[in-house]
Amino acid sequence: MDKILEMREVTKSFGGNNVLKGVNFAVYPGEIIGYIGPNGAGKSTTVKMILGLLQQDSGEIMIFGESLSGMGDTYKGRIGYVPENAELYDTLSAEEYLLFVGRLYGLEEEVIRRKSFAMMKILGIEAAYQNRLSSFSKGMRQKVLIISSLLHNPDILFWDEPLNGLDANSVQIIKEILSELKNDGKTVFYSSHIMDTVEKLSDRIIILNEGRVVADGHFDELQKEADGTLEQLFNQLTGFNEYEELASAFVSAMKGEITYDA
Amino acid sequence: MMRNVFGGDQKQKEGDQFFIKVIRKFAPLYRRFGVDYPIMERIVDMKLIMDSRQEKVIPTNSMWGSQKEKENEDKNAFFQSLWLYGFISLLLLFLFVIDNIQFQYTIFFSYVFIMLFSTLIANFSTILLETKDQILIGTKPVSSRTLSAAKTTHVFIYLISLTVVIAGPVVIGTFVIHGILAGLLAVILTVTASLWCLLLTILTYATVLKRFNGEKLKNIIAYSQIGISVFTVMAYQIMNQAIQFINPSMLEVQLNLQWWHIFVFPLWFVAPFGIITNGFSLTYLVYILLLVGGSVGLAFLYYFNSDKLEANLQKLESGEGDTDKRSWYENVTGKLLCWDKNELGYYHFAWQLTKNEREFKTRLYPSLAALFIFPIVLIGTTYRLTLETGGSVGDSVFFRYMPYYALLVIPMLAVSLKYSKNYKAHWIFGMKSEDHAGVFLRGIIKAMLMKLLFPIYLILSVVVLVFSDLSLLPAIINGFLVVTIVFSLQVKRTIQQYPFSKRYNASEANQGCLATIIFFMIIGVAAGGIFAIQTLIPFGAYIIMAILAVVATWLLTKGFNNHSLSME
Repeated sequence: MDKILEMREVTKSFGGNNVLKGVNFAVYPGEIIGYIGPNGAGKSTTVKMILGLLQQDSGEIMIFGESLSGMGDTYKGRIGYVPENAELYDTLSAEEYLLFVGRLYGLEEEVIRRKSFAMMKILGIEAAYQNRLSSFSKGMRQKVLIISSLLHNPDILFWDEPLNGLDANSVQIIKEILSELKNDGKTVFYSSHIMDTVEKLSDRIIILNEGRVVADGHFDELQKEADGTLEQLFNQLTGFNEYEELASAFVSAMKGEITYDA
Repeated sequence: MMRNVFGGDQKQKEGDQFFIKVIRKFAPLYRRFGVDYPIMERIVDMKLIMDSRQEKVIPTNSMWGSQKEKENEDKNAFFQSLWLYGFISLLLLFLFVIDNIQFQYTIFFSYVFIMLFSTLIANFSTILLETKDQILIGTKPVSSRTLSAAKTTHVFIYLISLTVVIAGPVVIGTFVIHGILAGLLAVILTVTASLWCLLLTILTYATVLKRFNGEKLKNIIAYSQIGISVFTVMAYQIMNQAIQFINPSMLEVQLNLQWWHIFVFPLWFVAPFGIITNGFSLTYLVYILLLVGGSVGLAFLYYFNSDKLEANLQKLESGEGDTDKRSWYENVTGKLLCWDKNELGYYHFAWQLTKNEREFKTRLYPSLAALFIFPIVLIGTTYRLTLETGGSVGDSVFFRYMPYYALLVIPMLAVSLKYSKNYKAHWIFGMKSEDHAGVFLRGIIKAMLMKLLFPIYLILSVVVLVFSDLSLLPAIINGFLVVTIVFSLQVKRTIQQYPFSKRYNASEANQGCLATIIFFMIIGVAAGGIFAIQTLIPFGAYIIMAILAVVATWLLTKGFNNHSLSME
């Protein structure tokens, strides 16, 4: 099968800080990819580059079989994106926001209204359809973003921490939706910090640490290298194994037993 | 009161619709520039709706004391406060008293450029430099060029409205006094002028964003804003010097152009009027060629760079920050001024917060920078005057009281303290177990006094003392006490909610104008009184110093104990 997305030796630095130091991976249609790594590993930067918000310093990004550089913006019409931090235009109502986004994808208002209301109803937030987004809880905002990323029936999804702020029941629905989308031939590329979910949901897991891919494969394959859960594997690959000592040091610091040395 | 004048919700909506209809007329032009017009119209429409919905502060009932904060649905505060600019601009009609067409339009275009540039930099830079649009719109199939055109149009709607209001009286006057041809010329040139302001600002940002990275970039953006303001004030001064009063009593003036005036582009806008009345001359021809060439050049530069501004905007969000250290100045002044340890906490909080917020700097620093231009301007003009009348620079009253100009930034500074980029974090103020409004406000006031007002005042004072003599010292000390008192009172009046707890917002650009004018009237009277006592009564300066010192000390130690702040 042809690759839908490929990163070849992609590097990016901000000022003197090398965020990505040569990232390589390929994604095939119909895969659910869990893209994980510690905070600051460069996950969001990767996604922003694929969406053309940032330019790579070197290397090549291929999407839908073409190189991203000099490609124009129409390819974004086949992508569904959920940004991190649940950013939205707060002063709009959910209805207005979804209509706006839908129009940017070139959809008719009639269609957008029908689709978005139905999806909100299924996720149980239709009562707030005409309320300002500023009054929405974090979970509700996340749901609106997820809906807005699906309005145009995209081929590939980039979801930056889509489960953030959702309650357990909603997480369950979203997980099922993802499997359903996969069966439909969609590709899903998401990041999350909930290892348990990533372990069960992903066809492939890509672990990013300090600007490089340190693991890439199905969970079963990764397990050959290290036994145990994904969480343990993650700790091992990112070189983090002293959490018990750190926890007790933290609590003693809280009590003022450690002198602060800057 | 203001609301009724401009009608209710319905009318405002029609107002926004009106702009969309006008833009639609230019759809072919947008298309020629490679813009996806329907998408762009959609974005602009949505932006206008969002602007009209922000929370806003409109003084109701009385100007002093009870300001009510209201969330007004679907009304745009910007358009509601425009009438005030119109009122001020009526004063410009006095220009026609002086019978010299170059003079009239030199002053007119300087005024237009100054007003537009300062509003653009201080209030609309946030729209141009908004990074959220990239994430929410740039990730959709919308080209950078389209998004950039939408932002430019959005700002231009505000800018052209402001232009109509500030230039309207003079343009109408032109039709009446100089005839239809000159009138049409005035219309075209004024619109061109506002386009120039916008494009120059955008190009400055685009260049800076392209050249720099990371933390340095954020600082340079602030410097470039200050740079534009300084340039504007300097240009104004140069234009003033080009004009000479030949016979002050007859209001007779003459334009005294030197070769280097050719660089002062607002003068280019005057040349066409010169041709109409005085006929053809080489100077006029050169200026007109420059004007046309400049306009075409700007259009080309914008065409080739507009999408780059968008493409590079994400740089503002990325990269790690500097490590923040307190300067020795901050530490020492904090220890000296804040005896209460809670107050010291707020002192450092306000200091560091305002140090890091780009929006705060954008709003305020250009006006602060303008204050530094005053010495140059004043020394220049006073010097010219004294050459004619004899005497020395140090004798001029305007010059001697120059540090008092620091009073001018106080309303702006006080208002700026309401806002923060991270306004949502204000929940933390509610976590405090005791009532802390007093210490909070005192901490902030002291921090701002020491961080911004004192250094400026000190520099201005040193300049004055160098040119005159030490006998002025008491008056200068009194001046700083006045600044302290006025700033404290202004903060008390302005800050009704917790400071730093409101969101920055474009449509509030000229909020509180009327209150500010009243403020200056009262300050003017009070300052006049102080001058009089200082100069007429022996030891008057010392008597006043004693009184002011007592008031200031009281304000800064106990002043706000009964003040309470609300959360929402």
